[in-house]
Amino acid sequence: MAEPKPRVKLPKSVTAGVPFRVRTRITHPMHTGLRHDGDGNPVPRRIINRFVVRYEGEVAISVDLEPAVSADPYVEFEMSVPESGELEFEWVEDGGAVYRLQRRIDVS
Amino acid sequence: MAPTRREVLRLGAAGAAIALLPGAAARASNGVPEAIAGFSGGAAPLEGGVLLEVPEIADNGGAVPVRVAAEGARRIALFADANPFPNVAEFRFGRLAPPAATIRIRLAESQNVIAVAEVADGTFRRASRRIAVTVGGCA
Repeated sequence: MAEPKPRVKLPKSVTAGVPFRVRTRITHPMHTGLRHDGDGNPVPRRIINRFVVRYEGEVAISVDLEPAVSADPYVEFEMSVPESGELEFEWVEDGGAVYRLQRRIDVS
Repeated sequence: MAPTRREVLRLGAAGAAIALLPGAAARASNGVPEAIAGFSGGAAPLEGGVLLEVPEIADNGGAVPVRVAAEGARRIALFADANPFPNVAEFRFGRLAPPAATIRIRLAESQNVIAVAEVADGTFRRASRRIAVTVGGCA
């Protein structure tokens, strides 16, 4: 499996305390554990099971994902920040692998 | 009067026959009521107070956009009543994120998607939408 590639789309600048839209996606097959490969062998379950977004260490949103979430999990939400700071996006895969992305958000 | 051994056996045989029927009785539920009870701690959610936006018809069951929002909610969970598993996703919102989100989900066939939210007063609210799926996703 190719290394999952996380992507996040944020506004270039935001206003303190005013919610802005955040669009997130990570490339991942989200194997349900219910399918078989071309040779009839079961493909073991392997999904992104948790997605967490933190601002300066504080959790803004946390999502538990089940196999019923589409491949390349897409989550869109809104959040606000009181001042410029660091956003951390974290995807946790079955088996414990973690994929992270850090982005600075600037309050204008 | 206590049932005789013969009556007990007859009831057991009838029950086994029902369990083997491949029809509606056996397929009636994928466990959605139990999954919702697991989320709500057994409380029965009230209708209303949850926005659930879905397409009426999904050509591709592999990626169906679903938007949920519920004022004052700290937690919102999504369920599907004809997928192999009832749970779809659970969102927990901190104080920086208003309780609303969009996600893309898999639906194996036409079915109901249910959103349940725990709102500010500690009660649970729900909304349900039927989605017709043209080509099922590999849920």
